[in-house]
Amino acid sequence: MKELAKAGAIHADLAAVFDASPNPYMLLTPDLRYAGMNQAYLHAVGATRESLLGRPVFEAFDSGPGDKAADNVHQLRASFERVLRTGEPDHLAVVEYAMPTPGADGQVQFENRFWSATHTPVRDDDGAVRYILQHTTDITELERLRRQVADRRSEDSSALDAMVGGSVLKRATDVQAANRQLQSERNQLVEMFMQAPGFVAVLTGPDHVFQMHNLAYGQLIGHRDITGKPVREALPELEGQGYFEFLDEVFATGETYEGRESRVALQRTPDAPLELVFLNFVYQPIRDDGGRVAGIFVQGYEVTQNVLAAERQKLMIDELNHRVKNTLATVQSIAMQTARSHVEPATFAESFQSRILALSHTHNLLTRSHWEGAQLHDVLDHETQAHGAHRVLLNGPLVALEPASALALGMIVHELATNAAKYGALSVPDGRVVVDWRLSNQTDRMLTLSWREEGGPAVAPPSRRGFGSRLVERSVRHDLAGTIDTDYRIEGFTAEITVPLDRGQAA
Amino acid sequence: MTTPQQTGIEGRRVLIVEDESLVAMLLETILEDMGCAPVGPASTVDEGVRLAQGEPELSCALLDVNVAGTTVFPVADALKARGVPFVFSTGYGEGGLPDEWRGHPTIQKPFTEATVREALFTAMDISFA
Repeated sequence: MKELAKAGAIHADLAAVFDASPNPYMLLTPDLRYAGMNQAYLHAVGATRESLLGRPVFEAFDSGPGDKAADNVHQLRASFERVLRTGEPDHLAVVEYAMPTPGADGQVQFENRFWSATHTPVRDDDGAVRYILQHTTDITELERLRRQVADRRSEDSSALDAMVGGSVLKRATDVQAANRQLQSERNQLVEMFMQAPGFVAVLTGPDHVFQMHNLAYGQLIGHRDITGKPVREALPELEGQGYFEFLDEVFATGETYEGRESRVALQRTPDAPLELVFLNFVYQPIRDDGGRVAGIFVQGYEVTQNVLAAERQKLMIDELNHRVKNTLATVQSIAMQTARSHVEPATFAESFQSRILALSHTHNLLTRSHWEGAQLHDVLDHETQAHGAHRVLLNGPLVALEPASALALGMIVHELATNAAKYGALSVPDGRVVVDWRLSNQTDRMLTLSWREEGGPAVAPPSRRGFGSRLVERSVRHDLAGTIDTDYRIEGFTAEITVPLDRGQAA
Repeated sequence: MTTPQQTGIEGRRVLIVEDESLVAMLLETILEDMGCAPVGPASTVDEGVRLAQGEPELSCALLDVNVAGTTVFPVADALKARGVPFVFSTGYGEGGLPDEWRGHPTIQKPFTEATVREALFTAMDISFA
């Protein structure tokens, strides 16, 4: 017909045939305005062509003022919209729609009528819906007859009912309602599928061809065009990662495969390196009516952040455990060695506690900086405060210490101060200690710290080296890779400590 | 404890690799109490490897797994190559060891004198058997 119509000469004839048809027809534009109608339609609705052309259909006919008017309009409008959306014909087996008729007194009255309508899309050369063709039949008499029969409930009602198509109509109405319900449910399902927060895809056939996938799946794979492609072609980077084999297995056996925190390297950006993600997912077989596996339903969600967070947490707990155990071993060493140099439990307790507190002071400083490090001045200040604010003089530039260096220097200064309080300058009221330090070298920084005691009792070299002085010497060498010179001069003990500060970076 | 092993341990040279000076001093004290001669202690892996390769007549070694942020396994390899038995010490537990060394004699920090002594006996017995 289309080809014939194009031939031109036949054009007018077709229009004449349309106009002369005993069946009512009308054409609507996509914005639901009248584009044309035939004589039978004009007769059925009791209007003139001029009064309708170009007018919105629901302005011309609004089903009157009755209770059902809004529902009727809605039903009809929904049918037009389905045609526009799907491009497919839509059928309304029965639709009630009131039509205006001029009354005896000239007043317009509305009469309820029943219609059966088919709405067919008319496409242009590009395939877009240009018009909706409505073919409508007035079935009011049939419907009334059916209802009367149903009301009367006479013995022959069922036969008559069937005869006039009552049950057929009833069935058609039911099917229509069911179809509408199904269509709406399907739309809802598709919408849920597309908007689901997890990723979803449907693969079909033994080559796992992508039939459909949702937005989240698109996002997972970098929005590549995969529809209609087999998975090996669509996502080639999965080769060797085991996933093709899992799909083959599910297709072959019909058994669901579930992956938990599964590592996948994916091409999420073109030409960029593969990105590592972790997924929880399920491959579920889809079976046809005969029970054979026809495809695979893929669904899951990304858990990369959870997996990485759990790994970070494990690392942190391991590190914490390591530090705690090392600190306990340190405390154990202090206890054992302090015990060996103290016979009296009371002096052991005092000496042991002051060493534990020295460790704790530097820990406090480091905690304040989240274990990034500490300032040398602060370490010295914390460890010497107990001996009086003005008795230990601290002079030197700002020096940032790494945590390990801060802990070692804290312990060293604690031992020096304790010794001074027992035997040296801090054992008498007028004695004091001068601590000077300086940095040399810009790149490989060397710290030189001098401890000089003044105003104390006359000094003599100790007869035996206690744990304290061994600890100082060992810590400088072992923990700080530095050197120490001590001098028991008669006017006061001195120590000069030289420590490289940038060992960590060189290593 | 007067076992044949104990008399056999007198004077044996035992390498210590441990970055914490206080812990190293504790190990030295324990070893000296046992009659052993501590070697080191090394505070870095480099120094540990040097001693493991160069020190004569090593009978055993105590290796801290994490030495100043690096793992002690190069020292373990050097000792294994020489056939010197050794014991790991760690705060991580045995789970902190990689597959290659899993199951190797390990003592947990903090340790008692008894655990250090027994671990050394076991390690040396294994190599002498």
